[in-house]
Amino acid sequence: MNHDLVSFLPLFLKAAALTVWLSWLALMIGAVAGGFVALARTSRWLPLRVLALLFVEFFRSIPILIVLFFAYFGLPVMFKIDISTFTAATLALALHATATMSEVMRAGIESVGRGQWEAAQSSGMTFAQTMRHVVGPEALRVVLPPSVGVYVATLKESSLASIIGYVELTKTGLLVRESTGGGFAPLLMLGVLYFLINYGISLAGGVLERRYNVGTKLMLAGGGQ
Amino acid sequence: MHYTLQFRSIREYLPLLWDAAQTTLNLSVLAIILSVIIGCGLAIMRRSQSRLARILAIAYIEVMRNTPLLVILYIVYFALPAMGLRFSSFTAALIGLTLNSAGYMAEIIRAGLVAIAHGQFEAARAQGFNPAQTYRHIILPQVFRVIYAPLGNQVIAVILASSLASAVAVEDVASWMQTVGSTSFRFFETFLVAAGVYLVLCQAVNLMRLAIGRMLFKDNGVRR
Repeated sequence: MNHDLVSFLPLFLKAAALTVWLSWLALMIGAVAGGFVALARTSRWLPLRVLALLFVEFFRSIPILIVLFFAYFGLPVMFKIDISTFTAATLALALHATATMSEVMRAGIESVGRGQWEAAQSSGMTFAQTMRHVVGPEALRVVLPPSVGVYVATLKESSLASIIGYVELTKTGLLVRESTGGGFAPLLMLGVLYFLINYGISLAGGVLERRYNVGTKLMLAGGGQ
Repeated sequence: MHYTLQFRSIREYLPLLWDAAQTTLNLSVLAIILSVIIGCGLAIMRRSQSRLARILAIAYIEVMRNTPLLVILYIVYFALPAMGLRFSSFTAALIGLTLNSAGYMAEIIRAGLVAIAHGQFEAARAQGFNPAQTYRHIILPQVFRVIYAPLGNQVIAVILASSLASAVAVEDVASWMQTVGSTSFRFFETFLVAAGVYLVLCQAVNLMRLAIGRMLFKDNGVRR
């Protein structure tokens, strides 16, 4: 690695922070919205269940890049609005995270036995109270470990934001490469940084998994983007 | 906000879509086949007696699973030429996609191998099977049953991930959407059409998986 690259290190680290922030934001939106979609999927009302299923299948069956292109180039034309690269990237990542997280959340909700619901109801708890005090904590045990996987996936997917020009880690690598006259090192540096961040998160996830000692490991669609 | 759907203006681009869809399909199918082969090798390496082979396989898998595919594609397409290795867009995309998917395939196949009780190997050995025969007649049929569902997930993941090939100038469906959208300004229509192509491909894989699964194992039509 040449000396030039070392002087770019602060830039890389700042960009890495943006990448972490972007994917964290998308994950949080995905967790909240995914919770609602999961509730809709377990609802007793058929139309709601179907609608939620369609949403999940749709966003898990099309590439994030397609959503990203549409959010960034399509929405401004259709609605005569301005959309920043950051907003478009967050939107696309969050939609995908919502679809994935809803499946994780659903597994969490379904892992809690019916008896728990009934017991809570017969103790006079409202739906919100049941969720908060009984089902929520139990579901969390199942939801937490796969969520780490979703976060790592989202972090990798956030590299797509560079395609529409948002200057996160990947775009920074490409820009540095341009300004240093091409070469191997800046892109290799990208790979190393992403690896260190994600591997760190995976390790932390492993700790979580052992701590919560969850037997059922949810198999998520792998080969991320 | 009234926007009228107008597929008429993108009709002339549909022949291009046919080519693009074929590119997406070719790329995905080739990457899936190659990554299964490499994945098998890695999975066997991970169970090898040699410590070095195990470490190499683990390192490869971890690197591939923790690095964005886009970065891998950029390295293959932009950085390797600096070392004298120059590939066409399609080849570069295929290499990147294969290298990435092989990491996941290896883990899926390993999980399948791990699920086979050790007694099976010993019983085969006791029956006089050599290692090749053991794998072919005893182990692989059982492994296939275990990995069938996650393999399907990975196939779909590769189809979706192949869209990133557009970032290294492969003219696939994602690239079609971007080109046609920005020349016709009918972004919503191109979005619907492109999304439709991927949706059809993925759901076709899902249906095939269900049908083949039902045929082979009676019950295994496990969805994602």
